[in-house]
Amino acid sequence: MDVNDRIHAELVKAGVKLAATLPDDWVNSLIRRVEKDNTIRNVRVGREAETICICAGAFFGGVRSVAIIGNTGLLTCTGEMATLCLRHAIPVFCIVSARGSIDDHKVYQEVQGRRTIPLLQAYDYPYRIIDDPDDIGSIPDAYEWHRLQKRPFVLFLTKKLLGVKNA
Amino acid sequence: MKTNEVMKVLARHRGDAVIVCALGMAANEWWAATRSEDSFYMHGAMGFAASFALGLALSVPDTPVWVLNSDGSLCMNTGCLITEAGQQPKNLKHFVIDNQVYQTVETMPMVNQDGADYAGMARAAGIKQTATIDNLADLESKLPEIVKAPGPYFVRLRVEAEPEYQRVPPAPYEGPEMKYRFGRAMEKKLGVKVFGPRGY
Repeated sequence: MDVNDRIHAELVKAGVKLAATLPDDWVNSLIRRVEKDNTIRNVRVGREAETICICAGAFFGGVRSVAIIGNTGLLTCTGEMATLCLRHAIPVFCIVSARGSIDDHKVYQEVQGRRTIPLLQAYDYPYRIIDDPDDIGSIPDAYEWHRLQKRPFVLFLTKKLLGVKNA
Repeated sequence: MKTNEVMKVLARHRGDAVIVCALGMAANEWWAATRSEDSFYMHGAMGFAASFALGLALSVPDTPVWVLNSDGSLCMNTGCLITEAGQQPKNLKHFVIDNQVYQTVETMPMVNQDGADYAGMARAAGIKQTATIDNLADLESKLPEIVKAPGPYFVRLRVEAEPEYQRVPPAPYEGPEMKYRFGRAMEKKLGVKVFGPRGY
């Protein structure tokens, strides 16, 4: 089982039946793994904020969902996370690439690396960073915990965890 | 036709549909017309009522879901049409209340006022069934067919701008209470479990 198989398996264990996704180099393999699973409906979107609002709608249908996006996209949708999810106390579980880390030397990712976490803290969106494969097993707990928090939750996946080579 | 007249006609034809309202005029007028608890009234995320409705529709595929969008909200996220077309949800109807102004902010003019064909945009995005309706007689006569047809179906409802508009008040409860009212209404109506045994 590779890392994406394991993350997918834990999402299944958490009861996820719907994913809303927009590609980023680091999470594309996870998106493809989720798409291979016929028990999870993958909704491809054109803008990351759609993932947040699709997952919020799914919540009221009694369906557990996940948004899988890149760090840049996360920055673009913090307003919708606030005015929909904080306003109405709706939990949304987000899996996000931890772009802009010290081992990510893409010039267009550096701002995300410096400012994403302070921004999440300003909004009081809880987050966790998974860097060690041994922590993947905590996903079902994190899922239950984010429902209790009643707000968006971000699970960052690092370059090391994902074994990204060239991106 | 006026927005409040449109809402009354939609309410008569609604059947079992669950409603998602874009924030502002659409939400306030639907509340005024129906006092409906099994409707979600967006308080924020302008532009994304359609995305919320899509997520709901995909989660309850046997239940009709209508989104009452507005032209201002659609203009803020026209990409929702492509996402909707990509999923082809059979239970989703997308209505846009189009008055060509931002009604709740002093009727300021819409971007490219009267210059955009929203139904044409929906068709170009891949939603095959579309309609533009600009009078109550047509709305009454065409709605039964629209309601009966499998989705997705996009309907532009061209209403009058109302410069002397007196704002109808919004639903008298705010975000978290709306969450629980709507969630409990979904549980009761559809038999789904929105909340766990400890209430979250």
